[in-house]
Amino acid sequence: MDDTLSPASPAVVRRAVEPAFAVTFLGALAWIAAIFLAPYLRSRSSGAASFLYAVFAPVCHQIPSRCFYFHGFPLAVCGRCLGIYAGFLAGLAAYPFVRGFRKIALPPVRLLILLSLPAGIDFAGGFVGAWTSPIWVRFGTGLVWGVILPYYFLTGVSELLLWRSVRKSGASTRASPDGTGLDNLGTKHVE
Amino acid sequence: MDNRRPEYLVPALIAGAVAGVLSGIPFVNCLCCLWIIGGAALATHLLAKKTPGPLTAGDGAIVGALTGIVAATVDALMGIPLRPLNEAFLHRFMASLARVVDQLPAGWQDWVQRGTSTGFSLAGFFLGLFISAAIFAVLGVLGGVIGVSLFGRKKIYPPPPPATQGPANAAV
Repeated sequence: MDDTLSPASPAVVRRAVEPAFAVTFLGALAWIAAIFLAPYLRSRSSGAASFLYAVFAPVCHQIPSRCFYFHGFPLAVCGRCLGIYAGFLAGLAAYPFVRGFRKIALPPVRLLILLSLPAGIDFAGGFVGAWTSPIWVRFGTGLVWGVILPYYFLTGVSELLLWRSVRKSGASTRASPDGTGLDNLGTKHVE
Repeated sequence: MDNRRPEYLVPALIAGAVAGVLSGIPFVNCLCCLWIIGGAALATHLLAKKTPGPLTAGDGAIVGALTGIVAATVDALMGIPLRPLNEAFLHRFMASLARVVDQLPAGWQDWVQRGTSTGFSLAGFFLGLFISAAIFAVLGVLGGVIGVSLFGRKKIYPPPPPATQGPANAAV
């Protein structure tokens, strides 16, 4: 990943990235916990299970044959979605070691394409009827894709927090006109 | 330096409507959250075409979040007329699945029945819309920033240098 020095002070960047990271990490943990909580509550005949399944319904088809089971009931999302969320959490856990909190940078596009390929090929093959992937393959390809996603999400959220602090200081927050793709908040748009 | 923000609303409305429709149609919605992420990336693409300079990750986050909120609204509104269709689809699917898969837990019919038999309520609709909008906005932020990475890094060419004055003029 890119190691370009940021024109914004590392301390200022750190003050934006750290809270964004903390909130995102807690949110991702709660999200995955809720995925497992839904079948557990269903097995206990709790009415809250229906609410949790309904929360995840808009973002996943929840087809039982494509879900892992927990306590005898399908998880609240399919295997591929679970892989994406698990990969997101894994990428997030690695974030402080890979990127650190002192700079903001987007990952290289080539890396995004590379990590998207397994899930893309798996989905395309299934869609055209060339094969039917086992659920672990769906989970694995989703996991690979999900690992890179927090590096995008945190960059966007951190930059919004930076905008707020920079706006207070009265400085400009627009992209630099020199064509480098390096805006004056310090986000490096890596090729 | 130009400190104006790009116009986020129109790209978010267009892309949000597309993503909301696609994520609301039964069977087509099997792509899960990818419609929202893709819709937000589309919004960034539209924004990049309208904006002369390169976009920042923050631009992508804002237009992506707006796209997610629009998509959630469209999805919720589409769900009202499509509700009977969705219920029929779910019942048919589960019945056919139960014939070939012995993995389904006992009592799944009650589970499906409980999930689909609750009538329409305005409070439930707005609660669902609020939760969907929050989730779609988060997914939209992700898609918007990915869109910036893919579409938002346009090269800005420096303005041409001012016309140089000739030696005759300079001598005057």
